[in-house]
Amino acid sequence: MISFLAFSISRAWQSFWRNAAMSIAATATMTLMLLLLSGFWIVQAGLLAGLEFVEQKVQVVADLNDGASESAIASLQARIQAMPEVLEVDYVTKEQALQRFQASRQAQGQEDLSGYLQVNPLPASLEVKLRKADSFDLVQSALRADPVVDRVKNIADLAGRVATITDFLRTAGLGLLAIIGAIVLFIVINTIRLAVVGRSEEIEIMRLVGASDAFIRWPFVFEGAMVGLFGAALTLGVLAGASEPLGRFMFDFFRILPFSVGSISRDVALLVVGAGMGLGVLGAWISVRTYLIR
Amino acid sequence: MTIETLSDRRRGPRRAPAPTELDRASNGLGPRPVLVLNNVTKTYPNGRNALKEVDLVVPEGDFVFLVGPSGAGKSTLMKLLIRDEVATEGTVYLDGDDLAKLPRRRVARVRRKVGIVFQDFKLLPTKTVRENIAFALEVTGTSRRQIRPAVERVMALVGLTGQAAQYPHQLSGGEQQRTAIARALVHDPRIVIADEPTGNLDPLISWEIIQLLLRINELGVTVLMATHDADVVTALRKRVVALEDGHVMRDELGGGYHRRG
Repeated sequence: MISFLAFSISRAWQSFWRNAAMSIAATATMTLMLLLLSGFWIVQAGLLAGLEFVEQKVQVVADLNDGASESAIASLQARIQAMPEVLEVDYVTKEQALQRFQASRQAQGQEDLSGYLQVNPLPASLEVKLRKADSFDLVQSALRADPVVDRVKNIADLAGRVATITDFLRTAGLGLLAIIGAIVLFIVINTIRLAVVGRSEEIEIMRLVGASDAFIRWPFVFEGAMVGLFGAALTLGVLAGASEPLGRFMFDFFRILPFSVGSISRDVALLVVGAGMGLGVLGAWISVRTYLIR
Repeated sequence: MTIETLSDRRRGPRRAPAPTELDRASNGLGPRPVLVLNNVTKTYPNGRNALKEVDLVVPEGDFVFLVGPSGAGKSTLMKLLIRDEVATEGTVYLDGDDLAKLPRRRVARVRRKVGIVFQDFKLLPTKTVRENIAFALEVTGTSRRQIRPAVERVMALVGLTGQAAQYPHQLSGGEQQRTAIARALVHDPRIVIADEPTGNLDPLISWEIIQLLLRINELGVTVLMATHDADVVTALRKRVVALEDGHVMRDELGGGYHRRG
């Protein structure tokens, strides 16, 4: 078994270099395809993060009764915070609401109208940030059910529109990624197939001198894996080289997104290495199968 | 030698190889047969009858010429022997194994009992003479320690020790064919099948190759050689099997290329 592995790997290594032209062509194709795949993957990840960011801007605001006790408000806040759909709950007191109103009047350069009144007319409120725009209904009815709540501002229209757009973009992105994945799959498999067909005489001779299927198949499978690994290494090299200038350019964009560059580069590295190896092995396996003992 | 001792020599599970047919086939022929074709018919999917009711017994140590015009069925016969094709009717025994009943995983092992030499040599251009010969052992899982002496031995036998490190394109046609013969011999086959081995060589070199095959035969290896070379066949007075239109038209010892009279 060990010697079989050693044989297969050393033969794969040897034939990779002795058929350099074919190997380089296959590796180059693999690299370009992996770049396409990972590039699109990164764009897709950015898109998803952007959508998430937009969705979190959707918030449900519940105005509270003036007479509500602090403890009742605190318990409602805790209950809402515990819901899985909820990202964050902010309690805005009557005083804070008034300050906000005054600040926004000032920012607009208009007169502070609050001076005309003896009492603060603005209600205290809970501002609930959602994880997903389409879960507003649930949160809204939970708020309405509580006696502390005076009224909940109806955001159905806005939330519905945001949900429609984000759903469409998510589906379209996934669909595009699937199509690009399929294109990459076919091109890589066909390239490796060409490399194998170019060596059909060698396979023929192996068959005639009595090589078993395993001895014919595995060197090619390892060679396919090598093409995949080299392609993946090149791709990651190009991506790493591009990430520095690209990162500076996109820094501002990413900073506002709930999006960590560390996790994305790990995902991309896994994707590139996994797809490269997987495609190389799969392509070789399929291509050699035609030549095995009938 | 009886069938029992024959199967005892084989590795792997014992199977009864239809003893009555084999017994009948080897009757009165002295040494046990390496190859037995019993009423073999091969019909291709397109309906062409390449072989029709062929009976052929090749005893161990024999040297047989297979002659006949193109399309007579020589190539099909050779494909049957290495189980590249399976007979439509009848049975093919190679060293006691019924090739049609051979399980898939044993095909490779049985093929190693056959050494094949082609008209176009079929050497790997990216490998040296030594590597081309060693290749036949490497791909069958032989250990490196056993490969080296075996390769040196057959290279000496065919007279290629001096060219061991050269690539096929650096060799003459005769040297290339000798490399192919060495490769066919290196795993100690029971029978060497040569498909027009001199077809691409000039007459002088052809004789060299024939002499080499005869020497190998003298060492005890059974040789089956398909050829168009009438001069060679007639001069050597060996056994000649003539195929025509899928039938065995003639099977005689010491025959010529053409029918006598």
